[in-house]
Amino acid sequence: MNPAVHLDSITKRFPGVVANDDVDLVVERGSVHALLGENGAGKTTLMNVLYGLYEPTEGTVRIDGAPQEFDSPRDAIDAGIGMIHQHFMLVDPMTVWENVVLGNEPTTWGGLRVDADAARESVRELSARYGFDVDPDARIEDISVGVQQRVEILKALYRGADILILDEPTAVLTPQEVEDLYAVFEELTDQGKTIIFISHKLGEALRAADDVTVLRDGINVGTVSTDEVTREDLAEMMVGREVLMEPAADPREPGERVLSVSNLHAEDDRGVEAVSDVSFEIRAGEIFGIAGVDGNGQSQLVETITGLREATAGSVRYLGEPMDDVSRRERIDRGMAYVPEDRQERGLVMSYELTQNGILGSQHDAPFASSGRIDWKASRDHADRVIEAYDVRPPDREVTAESLSGGNQQKFIVGREFERDPDLVVATHPTRGVDIGSTEFIHDRLLELRAEGKAVLLVSSKLDEVQGLSDRLAVMHEGAFSGVVDPETVTEEELGLLMAGESPDDESVETARVYEAAGDGPHGGPAADEDDDRRNGPAADEEVDA
Amino acid sequence: MSRIDAIARSIREFLRTFVDLSVAERLLISVAAIFLSVVVGFFIILASGRVAACETAAWTMPVTGLGFCYDPFQVYAVLFNGALGYPFAFGEPGLFNPDWTPFNLSLGLTLSETTLLVFTGLSVAVAFRAGLFNIGTQGQLVVGGLATALVVVAAAPVFPTGRLGGIALIVIGVFAGAIAGGVWGAIPGALKAYADANEVITTIMLNFIAANIAYVLVLEVFRAEGSSVVATQYVPEHAQIQPWFFPGSADFAEAALLAGVLFVVGLYVLIEHTTFGYDLRTSGIQPAAAEYGGVNAKLTTVRAMTLSGALGGVGGAVWVLMSEGRWIASVPDLGFDGITVSILAGNNPLGVFPAAFLFGLLKGGALEIGFQTDVPTELVAVLRGLIILFVAMPEFFRMIGRYAGLDGSGPASGATDDSAAASEGGEADA
Amino acid sequence: MRNPLNEVHVPVVDDLIEDDYVRSLALAGIALAAFLTTLGIGGLLFPDSIAGDLAGIVFNAGTATATARLAAPIVLAALGGIFAEKSGVINIGLEGLLIISAFVSVYATSLVGAGNTVLGLPAIVVGFLAGIAASAALAGVFGVVCIEFKADQIIAGLAVWLIALGLAPFMSTVFFGGVNTPNLGVSVGWSYSAAMVVVATAASWWTLNHTAFGKHLRAAGENPKALDTVGVSVSRVRHAGVLLSGVLSGVGGSALALSIGQFVGSGETMVQGKGFIAIVAYLFGNYNPIGAFGAGVLFAGLDAMQVRLQQLGYAVPDTLVQTIPYVVVIVVLALVGRTRLPEAAGEHYETED
Repeated sequence: MNPAVHLDSITKRFPGVVANDDVDLVVERGSVHALLGENGAGKTTLMNVLYGLYEPTEGTVRIDGAPQEFDSPRDAIDAGIGMIHQHFMLVDPMTVWENVVLGNEPTTWGGLRVDADAARESVRELSARYGFDVDPDARIEDISVGVQQRVEILKALYRGADILILDEPTAVLTPQEVEDLYAVFEELTDQGKTIIFISHKLGEALRAADDVTVLRDGINVGTVSTDEVTREDLAEMMVGREVLMEPAADPREPGERVLSVSNLHAEDDRGVEAVSDVSFEIRAGEIFGIAGVDGNGQSQLVETITGLREATAGSVRYLGEPMDDVSRRERIDRGMAYVPEDRQERGLVMSYELTQNGILGSQHDAPFASSGRIDWKASRDHADRVIEAYDVRPPDREVTAESLSGGNQQKFIVGREFERDPDLVVATHPTRGVDIGSTEFIHDRLLELRAEGKAVLLVSSKLDEVQGLSDRLAVMHEGAFSGVVDPETVTEEELGLLMAGESPDDESVETARVYEAAGDGPHGGPAADEDDDRRNGPAADEEVDA
Repeated sequence: MSRIDAIARSIREFLRTFVDLSVAERLLISVAAIFLSVVVGFFIILASGRVAACETAAWTMPVTGLGFCYDPFQVYAVLFNGALGYPFAFGEPGLFNPDWTPFNLSLGLTLSETTLLVFTGLSVAVAFRAGLFNIGTQGQLVVGGLATALVVVAAAPVFPTGRLGGIALIVIGVFAGAIAGGVWGAIPGALKAYADANEVITTIMLNFIAANIAYVLVLEVFRAEGSSVVATQYVPEHAQIQPWFFPGSADFAEAALLAGVLFVVGLYVLIEHTTFGYDLRTSGIQPAAAEYGGVNAKLTTVRAMTLSGALGGVGGAVWVLMSEGRWIASVPDLGFDGITVSILAGNNPLGVFPAAFLFGLLKGGALEIGFQTDVPTELVAVLRGLIILFVAMPEFFRMIGRYAGLDGSGPASGATDDSAAASEGGEADA
Repeated sequence: MRNPLNEVHVPVVDDLIEDDYVRSLALAGIALAAFLTTLGIGGLLFPDSIAGDLAGIVFNAGTATATARLAAPIVLAALGGIFAEKSGVINIGLEGLLIISAFVSVYATSLVGAGNTVLGLPAIVVGFLAGIAASAALAGVFGVVCIEFKADQIIAGLAVWLIALGLAPFMSTVFFGGVNTPNLGVSVGWSYSAAMVVVATAASWWTLNHTAFGKHLRAAGENPKALDTVGVSVSRVRHAGVLLSGVLSGVGGSALALSIGQFVGSGETMVQGKGFIAIVAYLFGNYNPIGAFGAGVLFAGLDAMQVRLQQLGYAVPDTLVQTIPYVVVIVVLALVGRTRLPEAAGEHYETED
């Protein structure tokens, strides 16, 4: 029997970059196959070739043994391939059934009316067959991310997909939802479907897949069966060298109270409560970590502390003073540094040169401004200092922020913020989309800041990062802290339960997150979003560096 | 860094300052848009000349022998040459017109329009840079102009009639215009900032409201006695901005144009080299980043709209004090033309001046077209619309550039490739 | 900004209309109806009071026909605007589409000659169709400029308005010797305008909510990539949306001019900002054709009332009364605040393949 998918010596080149170099991939029908690799290893590019989004420079795509030439996803869909992108392709204000049948609507009255009943029925039927619990009439914006993912799977199944490609399917899920997803995988493969999923977490590849193919720098390092391989082997295959352990923070005597948050409430942009009754404090020389699945109110909490969002109740005190009526600008002036979650929306003005970006937040202050005029000389010198100290490539203050790769954009922001001589550093996902070398560098700098007696609030969805660096660790779930734990003693299982909003008393959940490489989440910027690489040009360099 | 590197670097910096790539591209697109509009206008003249009725053909197309009522070559010759007062004598041996003097009526009219458009163009440009689409410069000009006329007429008796008194009145009048225009501009700014009301719609509505209220006020309260049109009293002669060299009938004063140039430079410095300008630009390009950088977005919105309105108001003051000598209900479309000027200038204050001059030419030329040809002067309004349309579609010109094979050597793409290569090299050993 | 009316709950209305926004509009409508009823009763009881006069205006047949005539361009352009914006293209050039169709409809009618026919169609029908075609053609150009050449939609829309604002009086002067055309001597009755408005509103509502095209339109405006990845061409859907805005505005502009039998090209032309009021009408109606219809009729009604007020000799300067709708628009916009634009409106979309 022919394999369901056979990618035969696929090479894909972009101007200046080889994303896939002579990659072979064989996936058996009815199996779950993990495509494992670090960011920029070429996983998404390879899957985009299979899905008809990219044409391979060389090589052949075979489905059930037959060579195929896909000009567009349409052709791939016709050949029975469905893709669930990392960013869901769903229309938020529309209902589940409208999304599932989009583009293939059943109609009556000679095409003048969409047959909503027939569509609902199809969705119900499919959803029952695979054990999904999905209400066809729910709006996408009202359902959880886990259910949205199922709607994406339903969309592919409705179009007759036999082979499902999932891009980083667990990035946005709680540990519990991840388990549910694995159950869905089993249900699907039992009924003859083939699943390929992209991941950079080797624990989840071992747990959910039958076979694993590891990509590194666009090359297939090897395909192994999960029965015959250890974590250590996989880690070395991925990284190409022995894996370094995270630097452990030595315990320290914390100093004065820098930030104290009490009974804080805040709403998100839609007016829904996103932070409910959060209290904590951070002392000088202490790193306070917040873990949790993205979207559980971390962003709103951080924005409220840094002055970008108003609290609906409760208070934030900084250096002993209430911050209720203190503007964002005033907070910056009082020594609050902030590495924002979204570097391309907030952290940098993409069309500005680095010189201009270097003074963002300090544009009113000496030495960059005097009596309202900007001192460009001082601004240029400052940009040069940051570039030099934080190893920003290319080392040229005159390039625009948009022409830097994601990792270098992040380094520049981190440098600008850390060099403010702050009392409090708020760092959200500081290493998201950043290569391993820079990740280590940023971690070291955070520990140095701590040693210098700064207070640090670290928010990250990477467990190893927050666990390894923090002195105390809070887990956030649905806007509240589900627990504050000692990172030294807490187990992965306990954290997993806390992230799902349960208290870790008796139940234990198997989560196998041993090592997460320089991982990225759903908002990782251009480097993480390989779909965009071709358009963004320069960002494609991340393909080869990791 | 070695000495040679340093020199190479400073040379590159020098070049970069003077050949800013995006500005160069912008300029190229503006010129191409003007050219394309002229070409399309050519065919519009031909087509309408074909259907219009006339005794003898003004122009006969070569080869085909088709006759047209309008001669497009003559129209453009009259348009541009006439706007300058006919410095060129086409077909004559000297090519130049020996009787031409720079201080002629037509050029005066052209420069008068240019002066007014500098102010309205700057008004729109300032708002644009803050990410706000101020369609309301027209209304701000109407309100500002009226305030100027009323304040100067009311204040005139208090001041001596001499030169100094005149200057004082002019200064007071301009301030009155700026304040009134600023307040009128602040309204949509505040509505945008605090009620999230779309400024495009509110400014359009405020234009209608300004025109109507000003009309009624003048009609019912401030109308000059015995005036056959709806207008205020004339401001006293000595409080009008007088020309130095140009004939008085041109309604143009060199001093006003000079002030316009100072405004252009001042706004350039304000936008590019001050913290206020930095905040304004950042809010315009990336509001979220501006807020992150400590910019009070709401306040910046209100400030930018107030400044924009004040500039529109100054435009109104100049219109009253230089052109009309009074506020009159038939206010020309200076505010709308300001939008065109700003867009053509790429919203860069330095670009506003040449763009305003171009539209000044069109305006001056339109008058000549009315005198010299049978072509309706609305043609110029069509050209104005076409220029905006073409300026709005840079991608179109880039496509043409690509088809013409200019891509590889194009400045923009070259820069991208460079930086891509640079960052690759940088990351390879990370 | 919170809409206070959202806090009010009326069981029956809640069931009928899911959308909070439309519900609050409906409630406002009910309140208005209640006010008018009170006014009517007051007018009957005290015929000599101001209420009596006002009631006379509101319930006057002349006001009703004038409202129908004035509502046609506003409502039809608003419906067109919905189609364009739902697909992701903000069409601020509706005013220009109304102007060009108003002129061309009159010109084409006069070209055929009132009373003559072409292929059995009376001149006025030919004029109507020509007006629609002209508007659709201009909208088509706008669509190409925005979708293919990735122009800034606001600026391109502004250009459409300015081009039409110049071109219509220009052509009028070429053909008729002045910016105003002579009166044709024939006109379209108000009942036709009213019928077109009602039919177009119903058809638009159906198209948007119950056809596959309507769903695609919505997806193109909300998440074009979602539409693209299921194999539907985003740019084709957007072109269709923009063309429909041209066709509907064309009907509106032709109806406006032909209901009088003349094109007036002086100043802001006879369209006088109705295209902009149409934008407000559909924002006000939250992209729901029925909401846009309600808002459009409201604005037209205000306009019609001020005409009647003057006929009754109230010493209010007419210009001031004409200002009322504009002020209302600003007040309403300030109170309602931001309406939710389609997620991808104003953005260009590049296909992946």
